[in-house]
Amino acid sequence: MQIQSSTKTELPELAGYFTVPGAHLYTVLHQAADPVARVLLVGAFASERHFSYHAWVRWARFLAARRIEVLRYDYRGIGESTGIFGEMSFEEWSEDVKLLANWIASRSPNVPLILHGIELGAILAGKSFHEGMGDALLLWSPPANANHALRATIMRWAGLEQIFESPENQKSASEYIRQLEQGSSIEVQGYEWSSRLWRDSFHVDLPANLRDESSSREAYKKPVKTVRFGKDSGSLAMPYVRYEDPKDLSALYSDNCDWITGALALPNGRTQ
Amino acid sequence: MKEGTETRELLALDGHGAIVRGTYHKTYNSCADSPSNLIERDRVGVVFLNGLAATRASNGDVTVYWADSFAERGYPSFRLDLPGFGDSEGDPPPEWLNFINAGGYASIAAAKIKELVARFNLSGVVIVGHCSGTVAAIHAAANRECLGLVLMDPSFHLSRSQTTRPKVRQKLNDWALQSRFGGFLSRIFDFLKQIRLLLRANALPENANFSLLRQWKEVASTGMPILILKAPRWRSPGTKPRVGEFDYLKHVLGLAGRKGRVVVKVMEGANHSFANRLGRVAVRQHTECWLNDNFPSLKREEGAVSTSLLERNGNKTHNQFHEDCTTNICHGV
Repeated sequence: MQIQSSTKTELPELAGYFTVPGAHLYTVLHQAADPVARVLLVGAFASERHFSYHAWVRWARFLAARRIEVLRYDYRGIGESTGIFGEMSFEEWSEDVKLLANWIASRSPNVPLILHGIELGAILAGKSFHEGMGDALLLWSPPANANHALRATIMRWAGLEQIFESPENQKSASEYIRQLEQGSSIEVQGYEWSSRLWRDSFHVDLPANLRDESSSREAYKKPVKTVRFGKDSGSLAMPYVRYEDPKDLSALYSDNCDWITGALALPNGRTQ
Repeated sequence: MKEGTETRELLALDGHGAIVRGTYHKTYNSCADSPSNLIERDRVGVVFLNGLAATRASNGDVTVYWADSFAERGYPSFRLDLPGFGDSEGDPPPEWLNFINAGGYASIAAAKIKELVARFNLSGVVIVGHCSGTVAAIHAAANRECLGLVLMDPSFHLSRSQTTRPKVRQKLNDWALQSRFGGFLSRIFDFLKQIRLLLRANALPENANFSLLRQWKEVASTGMPILILKAPRWRSPGTKPRVGEFDYLKHVLGLAGRKGRVVVKVMEGANHSFANRLGRVAVRQHTECWLNDNFPSLKREEGAVSTSLLERNGNKTHNQFHEDCTTNICHGV
């Protein structure tokens, strides 16, 4: 994988395509010289990718600057990855995580691998971790199941995001959900959600042992950390607001990086 | 991992002290999935600049869809993340909305377009901008590499981020949208604004982006082909503005003068992002018609009918598209 290497920075970011059955996943490897750990970032779903991107890229850069190599990617059928969104399923998106986790782990098997997921990505990372992948798990705003993530997206879509919609295109969240439950597709921020996606989402759960940190540490005997940004434990609030208003998330990045370093007893890897 | 697929290639444009990342959508051989090698010289490219959108894919990945479509029609297409956005390096400048409004990204966009033209042997490019991305597009269009412009919902006034809008104002807007009484009051407010507009004799509002309008006049009056795509907005049907708002479209058409070759199309059913189904298809169709009228591609001249990517994706074939072009499905000005 020698693709687009930056010549101006100390930490080259390599963008490339990773072949999976029927599609190419867009990946960016944030390289670190002599890495002390590797992280696979499993991002937010569909339209949430757009809003989380700024924060996600900067988190990857923050880690890479501390000798933690990062691989981030776009789900099959979303963003820069190829494939048709409407034809994809949670099985395929779970497979993406496994294939990429294997790939990044194989780069240097002696370096620990952390899986980090946000929102729906937290479920996908959690499921792979549950199956034995990775040496530690970091979850940001994990929903109990994929349906919670979809609902949260619809709520946001039906609210603030419809400011620019014409009145005839405006619908309430409950109307959208009713349409899905009646077997129709809906459009959410340009993505066509099928009723199949909606139905399937009820069966894609965060593994039970990951619902709270103490039981997960006990069950997996590996470091697990869950971060929630809302006022209550069921909240799916995100650390970012909108792409228009980049927030300073350095405290969040610092806390989580410290956790990775401490949990895996890594040497302090700050390079810049 | 590899650097490209059969239809796309990743780019890192590293000249002029800034690394800009992007995606190149290759033109297609008309009857196979393999990339075409015969149409890589002296072609007109299409360059998408992101504006407020965080990534070069845009909302709903709609720019990916358009770039795929235009490439299949014979126009090599490029989507770029401007510095501070998406995968490109750096952070957005402080006061970045002011920076964008002032055309701050124009010089880097022009420099990167020069790089693309040289690297891909293009005769020039059509720049496509959306919303605030139209500001960089208009400013960058003064360079000789730019042959045409596609502007989606351009804004000729100094826009404010929703996050800097007073909360009370935002809440009032939401209330006016949702309540019947609020809607009634909102109409009265519009009426008062209309009176003020008339009293001002339709003079440019104070928040007009004067430097952009000057740049527009310079570019449009040369006769550069320009396509403006407008999404209908609340109480703003067709090309007309909302009651009480200044008619910027009429104003800029006037600035273009006699030599102006500006076409305005209203995308019925589209939302502001043009990412919904109606919007994305309408933009594709109208832009392809316009590209073909102004910059006919080799493939188009040969009458090639591709059945590859678009058809596989469930979109219209080019024959169907041709019918749409000839029956003039759009509202033009």
